[in-house]
Amino acid sequence: MSKVLGILNFEPSYVHVRGLEDFRPISATSILGRYRIIDFMLSNFTNSNVESIKVFIKNRPRSTVEHISHTSYNLNSKRGKIQLLHGDVDYKNNELFNVDVQAFHTYMDFIDQENASYVVVAPSHFIFKQDFNEIVEEHIKSKNDITILCHSTTNADRRYLMGDLLKLDDNKRVTEMYKNRGKNKKAVVSLETYVMSALTFKQLVEEAVMTSSLYSFSDIVADCVRPMKIGTYQHRGFVACISTLNAYYEANMEIKNEKEMLKLINDDWPIYTMTNDSCPTLYKPGAKVTGSIVANGCQIEGTVINSVIGRNVVVKEGAVIKDSVILPDTLVDKNVKLECAVVDRLSIITHIKELKGSKEEPIYIKRGDRI
Amino acid sequence: MKKNNMVAMILAGGRGSRLFDLTKKVAKPAVHFGGKYRIIDFALSNCANSHISTVGVLVQYESILLSSYSARSSTWGLDSKGGGVYVLSPREKDETGLGLYAGTADAIYQNLDFLDQEEADYVLVLSGDHIYKMDYDKMLKCHQESGAEATIAVIEVPMKEASRFGIMNTDENDRIVEFEEKPKQPKSNLASMGVYIFSYKNLKKYLKEDAKNPDSQHDFGKNLIPAYLNDGLKLQAYRFKGYWKDVGTISSLWEANMDLLEDNSGLDLFDPDWKIYTDDASATPQCIGENAKINNAFITQGAIVNGEVSRSVIFSGAQVEEGAKVEDSVIMNNAVIGKGAKLVRCLVADDVRVPDGMKLGKKNSEDILLVSKASIAKAGEDHE
Repeated sequence: MSKVLGILNFEPSYVHVRGLEDFRPISATSILGRYRIIDFMLSNFTNSNVESIKVFIKNRPRSTVEHISHTSYNLNSKRGKIQLLHGDVDYKNNELFNVDVQAFHTYMDFIDQENASYVVVAPSHFIFKQDFNEIVEEHIKSKNDITILCHSTTNADRRYLMGDLLKLDDNKRVTEMYKNRGKNKKAVVSLETYVMSALTFKQLVEEAVMTSSLYSFSDIVADCVRPMKIGTYQHRGFVACISTLNAYYEANMEIKNEKEMLKLINDDWPIYTMTNDSCPTLYKPGAKVTGSIVANGCQIEGTVINSVIGRNVVVKEGAVIKDSVILPDTLVDKNVKLECAVVDRLSIITHIKELKGSKEEPIYIKRGDRI
Repeated sequence: MKKNNMVAMILAGGRGSRLFDLTKKVAKPAVHFGGKYRIIDFALSNCANSHISTVGVLVQYESILLSSYSARSSTWGLDSKGGGVYVLSPREKDETGLGLYAGTADAIYQNLDFLDQEEADYVLVLSGDHIYKMDYDKMLKCHQESGAEATIAVIEVPMKEASRFGIMNTDENDRIVEFEEKPKQPKSNLASMGVYIFSYKNLKKYLKEDAKNPDSQHDFGKNLIPAYLNDGLKLQAYRFKGYWKDVGTISSLWEANMDLLEDNSGLDLFDPDWKIYTDDASATPQCIGENAKINNAFITQGAIVNGEVSRSVIFSGAQVEEGAKVEDSVIMNNAVIGKGAKLVRCLVADDVRVPDGMKLGKKNSEDILLVSKASIAKAGEDHE
């Protein structure tokens, strides 16, 4: 089989996950208690037997570097390679110029070295399960220049905002690619996953760099709708686009459901992550837990309803956590009541006894805060 | 050459026949424990945390799973250059042909070439079937300071239980003067934990002599330690304070699991400075359903609970279905407790499916009911 190179792109400029983004790239954000968002896309790659993967990081690389270097993702440790390349080397002073094609361009040598026939560019702020081989096979058969993974949604008025929407002709080819300004509910949304030959990839990057220093990869693909043949591949399963805090919260809440979770993560499609060697979770006498997912290493004495509890979280007696996402290493002290909250890592909530957000606008407690 | 090089040898060849169906196809050290672990993880993690880099695992009985599991040195961080976990099974030799390990001492004797190759100064002999957290480095310091030829870790047990253990009688400086295996009238309550440090030079000499003795059972407790004592070699007791449990029976294995529910059992698995490492299952987080009721439980990732669980330990991939009730029980890996089933004081083996509505175990019974595939099949027949 022809060699496929995986390129895990960094988040585009429309992604703003309030609070969480101040501390790490979105890809390294904890999700579902024990994973990082990036684990889903990297496991898609390795479960599809893609052995060479370039991971691009926009800025604040520490957490991604640490996480990836301690996770095997089931790659052969000699043949397989995940290389981390980060974008802000030359653009420290102006985030505006820190766009994906500039990073691709800077590191084109490393991409060339792989001698891959095909390139799969995948996003780091999406969660979905996808065998990339299927798209590559379909792409080769179709003789298209580019194949875009897409998804039909009825939520385009409130999700995927500023992402790319696609207009398709009868042959499912793209006739237009435009930004989602939330006008319609029904739309075909691009999952920002592109399959093409390595040559086409290189050409597109060159062209983008020459056109504008603000151009992103999706901009240049949008420009190519006319001169090139751009096909689509339909994704029909669960999709989460983590572009806002609300989307992050909703993704946790939706995947938390047992059936949904087992569709996304199972023995046939494992999601690899870094082990922390935490012991199992202790539910002490008096604990009440329902409708929740809980990571290992927690000590729970209080009440947890309909929530996601991260690794090594302590919930003291009388505390009530409802409809919330608690990131790892957090302490929720006695009699504290949390509702619709996203509590970032390493924070301690002890003095404020009640915090309540709404499902539309969850309250955010910042990393390491002591309140 | 490494200085003060201590090589650990874990005795992991025993069958553990008092665990019945649990060890039918799996050696005892590989039996699951505490939600996410295997019993041998404790000895291996203790070695890693005590800065030991070379560990031999002596396997014999049903060793496929145990060998492949132990060989993944990186699980415990034991994959440094020059170190590692070496699985040592009986092998065919040029002079003696194929011979099984005849006893604990013989197992080490047959691997003297390995210890030579690793340039051991000290040999730490461990059992692969005990649950405890212990810093062997501290014990080595004690061994070196006392100038003993062998140091044996001991733990104080209640005097009335002392006759179940190998008991060390010591002088006022904790020098061992006598060893008694399961004495009827114990003189002390210092029980051997089956953890020994030997200075290698004399160990090699005594193992060679023991191998020549046709009357010997080639056992550390029965033969080697008495030989050291007879010859007046210095044997030191190293007092260990903390949690230690031999999980050789269904009820002791159940008890050790139940101890994890206690705050004050002395076995703290939450301690970040002395983690117990284990194979990381790529399992989902634990899923607690909307109608679940949990009252005091130790549950690990991959478990799915939709029923009622009290005072129980739920292992990776185990499921408690809706309406099922699990009380004072241990549910091992990937076991499924069917809808409406009721379990009290049970230990459910890996991969067992308890049919919907089945009732197992008795609240006031003294024994713990082992629920295996075979016992489920039998219960089904009786029912018909």
